[in-house]
Amino acid sequence: MPDIEPFSPRGMFHEGWKAEVSDYAIACGWALKGKQFIVGDVAGGIFAFEGDTGKIIWEKENTHSGGLLAMAIHPDGEIFATSGQDGNVQIWNCQEGKVIKTLNLGKGWVEHLKWSKDGLFLAIASSKKVYVFNEIGEEKWISNDHPSTVSAITWSNKNELATACYGRVTFFDIVNNKTNQKLEWQGSLVSMELSPDGDIVACGSQDNSVHFWRRSTGMDAEMTGYPGKPSHLAFDDSGKLLATSGSERITVWSFIGNGPEGTMPGELCHHTEPISSLAFSNKGMLVASGSRDGSVVASFLKNDGNGDPVGAAFAGDLVGAISWRPDDCALAAVNAKGVVNVWKFKVRTNLFSKGFK
Amino acid sequence: MSIKDKVPVTILTGFLGSGKTTLLNRILSEEHGKRIAVIENEYGEVGIDQGLVINADEEVFEMSNGCICCTVRGDLIRVLGNLMKRRDKFDYVLVETTGLADPGPVAQTFFMDEEISSEFTLDGIVTLVDAAHIDQQLGRSDESSEQVAFADVLVLNKTDLVSDDALDTLESRLRDMNRMTRIIRAENAKVPIETVLNLSAFDLDQILKRRPTFLEPEYPFEWTGVYDLDASKYELRLEEGPDPEMSLVALANQGESEEELKDGAESSVRLYAEKANTLEPGNTIPYGEHINLKLKDKGNKSFILHIEKPTRIGLFTQHTAEEFNMKVIKSDENKEIPFNTERFWQAEHEHDDEVGSIAIERFGDVDPEKLNTWMGRLLSEKGVDIFRTKGFISYSGNPRRIVFQGVHMLFTAQPDKEWGNEPRRNQLVFIGRNLNEKEMQEGFDKCLI
Repeated sequence: MPDIEPFSPRGMFHEGWKAEVSDYAIACGWALKGKQFIVGDVAGGIFAFEGDTGKIIWEKENTHSGGLLAMAIHPDGEIFATSGQDGNVQIWNCQEGKVIKTLNLGKGWVEHLKWSKDGLFLAIASSKKVYVFNEIGEEKWISNDHPSTVSAITWSNKNELATACYGRVTFFDIVNNKTNQKLEWQGSLVSMELSPDGDIVACGSQDNSVHFWRRSTGMDAEMTGYPGKPSHLAFDDSGKLLATSGSERITVWSFIGNGPEGTMPGELCHHTEPISSLAFSNKGMLVASGSRDGSVVASFLKNDGNGDPVGAAFAGDLVGAISWRPDDCALAAVNAKGVVNVWKFKVRTNLFSKGFK
Repeated sequence: MSIKDKVPVTILTGFLGSGKTTLLNRILSEEHGKRIAVIENEYGEVGIDQGLVINADEEVFEMSNGCICCTVRGDLIRVLGNLMKRRDKFDYVLVETTGLADPGPVAQTFFMDEEISSEFTLDGIVTLVDAAHIDQQLGRSDESSEQVAFADVLVLNKTDLVSDDALDTLESRLRDMNRMTRIIRAENAKVPIETVLNLSAFDLDQILKRRPTFLEPEYPFEWTGVYDLDASKYELRLEEGPDPEMSLVALANQGESEEELKDGAESSVRLYAEKANTLEPGNTIPYGEHINLKLKDKGNKSFILHIEKPTRIGLFTQHTAEEFNMKVIKSDENKEIPFNTERFWQAEHEHDDEVGSIAIERFGDVDPEKLNTWMGRLLSEKGVDIFRTKGFISYSGNPRRIVFQGVHMLFTAQPDKEWGNEPRRNQLVFIGRNLNEKEMQEGFDKCLI
């Protein structure tokens, strides 16, 4: 029986710690190499906890009047940025929770923040414009107006930024102020992810489909049949698998071989209500999903996109965000009631073994 | 999550200068115990220091399938997506649109987007109309007639600038375009808050309670009298009236229940469609035929009714009996026989606007599958021109009535209260542009069991 794997993956959520913030938690992330965990709530409260114990290190309320919209931790984990309805972006120091710089971009909501992989640039989307600042808050580039509000931004490489809005994805060389490529599609693009090599662009569309482009070949494809709009997309670190969800199901497309066009995607049906957050582990093919029903599941995926759950827990209420610790040995989920759950996570497979110290 | 837990949303539309900002400020400044989040258009200017006022560009997003019925407001999805995380801060949402906005995409957003429809429910669409200018606007732009067509409530504003006669004419024009709307006259946007908020406007019972005849189709006759007559000779005697002639259909064996009266009315509609035979005074009235009584002469005019065996006769007359002081007289005794039952009908009249309402009312059950096929085809062919659909349906085998509501081609059908002892029937209203009433009624009739 060659189909049976001699050593199936096993994993588990172990009790970690629990804490609370003041309002509906919408963003979270690990800083200082996993020593600190930062949570932002919708009202503008920001809280830093000790990564191992959950002990509060510092907390700030009312950081953005009108409320917080986005938070992004710098790749080196020393600083982070927040943005809100007040049109401001703030750059903070993680250690003490001090504001290093405040940038005002006008009166529009500032909805998206992304640090470049090398951490040299911070991209910011507000209404129809995208801005790039450096780490110390100096303005480096501003886009012209997009045709509609920018719905997603992401870095494709060191100097190249991708933006999504109604009808198109655009790639900008922000150092030479050039437009490198425009991919057009008449639809409202609500989410965007790039494969780690920057070649595959995946966008969720309001019309309940996922659209792909391969930049190198110019080929594109549309994956239809989602029951809801695919707001949640995630690539694994190798770029082989793309997990997508617009309902309680997770559909996983495999880019191995000639896929995913013409192939059957993998399907994970572990939740009873729609997915509200989705994240791959930093290394390997483990995907964690959080749902509106409060459940959190980690699934170990195979090359064809199918997989098995290797651990599950209940976060208590709608999962606002989830985040793997940089070493993948802990998973955090924050919920709509402001509860923070951190579980230690251990997994063993025949391919790699970690988490057992 | 049940409807009760969802946050109600009112959409406020109307042309520039119709008084939207005034009404908005009035709503916000009044004591009504609600915490209202306002989503204002980019040109909005709410002058009140109020907690949650969010400006949004009107971003109308069409889908790749090109279907205008799937068009949504992208900005609303983003803003409401954020608001749903702040449920503790507000319990009502008001969306103000710019004067030129098509209300379709705004309303469709609450049906099309699952995330939004799971947290918010469209309570009603309130359209403000500038009484002094709407007549011209309706002629000039599609948007203004669409705003009228979509409205659950029409606030006829600035009535102080227009004569009462002109208001009556305007109101009947608007009523023709949208029969399910409630029209409220106002000066300076002064309307009671409860007439614009928490309408549950999609709840048909509310509308029926307010205007029980709003679903009634129009008939080519205004009145029916049912007379219990023995075998004998009778005269139908008429005095002078408003018209030198009058159409009539006489039906034998006419029942008196509402259902039987409606059946009789349906038969009469078909007969009225045929060419009328003219009768002079003194002629005998045939049964089951469209006839035209000549009433030019002065004084009383009599037509003859022959009854061979006791029966109940239904007279379906173009005008009411009162208008001609019409009486049935038993000839040999010269004695008036009063009617047993009378019924007034909504009279047909000319419709000038392209936008109008169609009502279908039928007793009995429908086959859910047939209805689905018919509605599906109707909405996919005519969805662009059908702005609103409301109604309830009796599915065979289902103890509860099914409530329908839709915007363009999107519709939902939900089980509602149990029928109990109520006679099972179907009531549907469509509001749209250039709709073919006959074709739609025939289509619906084929779904009946």
